[in-house]
Amino acid sequence: MAKAEIVAMILAGGQGSRLGVLTKNIAKPAVPFGSRYRIIDFPLSNCSNSGIETVGVLSQYQPLALNTYVGNGHPWDLDRNNGGAFILPPYLRSGKSDWYKGTANAIYQNREFLDDCGAKYVIVLSGDHIYKMNYARMIREHIDMEADATLAVIEVPWEETSRFGILNTGPKDAIVSFIEKPKKAKSNLASMGVYVFTWSVLRDVLVEDENDSDSDNDFGKNIVPRMLSHDMKLFAYRFSGYWKDVGTISSLWESNMDLLDRPEEINLIDRNWRIYSRNPSKPSNYISGDATVSMSAMTDGCQIYGTVLHSVLSDSVTVEKGAVVKDSVLLPGVTVKSGAFLDKCIVGFGTIIGKGVRAGASIEGESPYLNTHICSEGIVVIEKGLKIKDHSIIPANSQVDCDLDVKDESNVIEETFRV
Amino acid sequence: MFLDAMGLILADNNKISLGELSKPRALAAIPFGGRYRIIDYMLSCMVNSGIKSVGILTLNKYKSLMDHLGTGASWDLDRKNFGLHILPPYVNSESKSTEDGEEMAGLLDFIRSNRTEFVILANSNIVINTTFNDFIDVHVQSGADMSVMYNKDGTKYGTPNFIFETDKKRIITDVLFNPEKTDSNKCCIGVITLRRTLLIDLIAEMMAHGDRNFGIYSLLKKFDTLRIRAYEYKGLVLRINNIQTYFNASMQLLDDKVRSDLFWTGAPVLTKVKDEAPTLYFEACDVKNALVSDGCRIMGKVSNSILFRGVTVSKNSVVRNAVIMQDVHISDNCVLDHVILDKNAVIRPGTQLVGHKDYPVVIDKGAIV
Repeated sequence: MAKAEIVAMILAGGQGSRLGVLTKNIAKPAVPFGSRYRIIDFPLSNCSNSGIETVGVLSQYQPLALNTYVGNGHPWDLDRNNGGAFILPPYLRSGKSDWYKGTANAIYQNREFLDDCGAKYVIVLSGDHIYKMNYARMIREHIDMEADATLAVIEVPWEETSRFGILNTGPKDAIVSFIEKPKKAKSNLASMGVYVFTWSVLRDVLVEDENDSDSDNDFGKNIVPRMLSHDMKLFAYRFSGYWKDVGTISSLWESNMDLLDRPEEINLIDRNWRIYSRNPSKPSNYISGDATVSMSAMTDGCQIYGTVLHSVLSDSVTVEKGAVVKDSVLLPGVTVKSGAFLDKCIVGFGTIIGKGVRAGASIEGESPYLNTHICSEGIVVIEKGLKIKDHSIIPANSQVDCDLDVKDESNVIEETFRV
Repeated sequence: MFLDAMGLILADNNKISLGELSKPRALAAIPFGGRYRIIDYMLSCMVNSGIKSVGILTLNKYKSLMDHLGTGASWDLDRKNFGLHILPPYVNSESKSTEDGEEMAGLLDFIRSNRTEFVILANSNIVINTTFNDFIDVHVQSGADMSVMYNKDGTKYGTPNFIFETDKKRIITDVLFNPEKTDSNKCCIGVITLRRTLLIDLIAEMMAHGDRNFGIYSLLKKFDTLRIRAYEYKGLVLRINNIQTYFNASMQLLDDKVRSDLFWTGAPVLTKVKDEAPTLYFEACDVKNALVSDGCRIMGKVSNSILFRGVTVSKNSVVRNAVIMQDVHISDNCVLDHVILDKNAVIRPGTQLVGHKDYPVVIDKGAIV
């Protein structure tokens, strides 16, 4: 097997249950983001741009779309003879086999892969963050400090510290303690879920953690505290720039809107740090003479005859004449029929919004689809592959799910199809 | 799809000039339709037909074509067997110049190294989205030596044109080059098919006669000795013969029916992927009837126009009836009407450029105005 001193491992196996129907059939990293990307394009492009050419993608939950999307890694220049992209699912062994029980267990189960690569350093990434980062600099700092582990951190607003894993640091940003979601934080340095480890050290810690039956086998919860308890050398690497966890419907929506409201922050047009993606091979987007488009992002294959305001449209979206799409995120292939009104909606692959449908944050009323567990801030989520009945009303905080048992008169789904 | 044929595309055409646009590049490499170059259409037709071996014949100025085609990966033509081959003029150590028909030696080698039964040979001045499977089926059934595609455009797209006269079995009885007056409206589309072995014989014969002009016409001229059958193609064909037809063809893309026939047939038009960011339409923008590619940033007013990738239209600028190529930057307070701006042009603040429908203003690649 080809040798690589530095190997990236992308944790892409999580279900992402907080994204509701968006991750019913696909893993979270394969969820479309920002008009022409999937979430996983960000870590993959960061790896490629950082010069890391051996990348393992740990997939487990609903892997078909993700595996197809990553494929041979060609869009990210990861189709290498020496290294490249590797899809690493859990597998059966002659002895004890298991699913990936936690993030650390996923790496533990692939320790032979890392051994065979001859890895000296491993960078562990999660597949659910939007950011641009040069990992090479972080790895250089890890090597210079002779660290056992280096955690990328970002300063977050003090009032939000309870949502993150918070690091307390001493001199030279040496990590003193790590507290997952503290009620009262002593620091506002949040872990970004980007870890560099010296492989020989991590390997031993993973084996030890595996033998501890009380452990959840999670990097943040178990591995980092375990390393700290062994007095190992852990450092924080400070990152500044755009970084967002898109693990919930509201954060996914917000992050999409950030591209419109603050495009300079993530700066997708930066040609020195392109974010690569698999291309849909569709013609340029067309804005008709009847259309109104403002404060919006769109990509190849979009055909706009109606009004699109402050929205992010993925490829091949059609908005018919007289339809209004506002503050929404439409995933690839969505059609919005004439007279429909969408306000703060996230609509899944290929769904057809029927004529005169009214859905979104400004729509009031009762509905069997109300779901405040998944939806918040008025956002409406509509599953992929549906035809929504003409003139349906879908009020704020609804999630249209075809598996929901809804009586005929209040059912907004006319048919379902595979996309 | 499967097709037992190889493809040959003639990247240049010495009868066609697009002025400033063809100065830095081969005809085939001229950008057309937002995110494509002219060759993308024919190359995609071939690939979508199932052709797995394509040779691109070039004469000169092939740098931009080579940049665009690369290894052929965008068309799935990066293969161990066959795939994409660029065939520049053939020069060996003995023949320092490319005279005496030597340029055909490389072509002949390439055709001989293939194994397919048929060849599709195509010009680069047409924009079309089709497959050649029916064309070859009909050709085989007819028993003709060669078949050539035509439609009933007549001479309306100007010169150069080839008009056919045929008998009742559609066998060509005469080929007219730029006729002043003709009763026939059968205008050559510039795609022919024949058996590979026959093409080898014909090229060898041309080389033996010191004939240096290999192309569609040199083959059609054989109508007196070979049975050449005309095949009517009824789909959309955009012909690009000069700046005016280029501009008109571009504007036709704003028509829903034309776009549907060209881009939404189910067979994609493939091109080199540029990984540009999505297009951003800013708050003050006003866009009507425009085809806009990825990586554009639009703050001004755009109507009846084609924007290629990475174009910036700044505040208070007005762009009408224009073809704006890749990475053009249009500064504030400009007025551009009936213009074609080549790649990387920079339009300084307050510039006004107004052309005419029949004579669009053309700004050179990289020019600063």
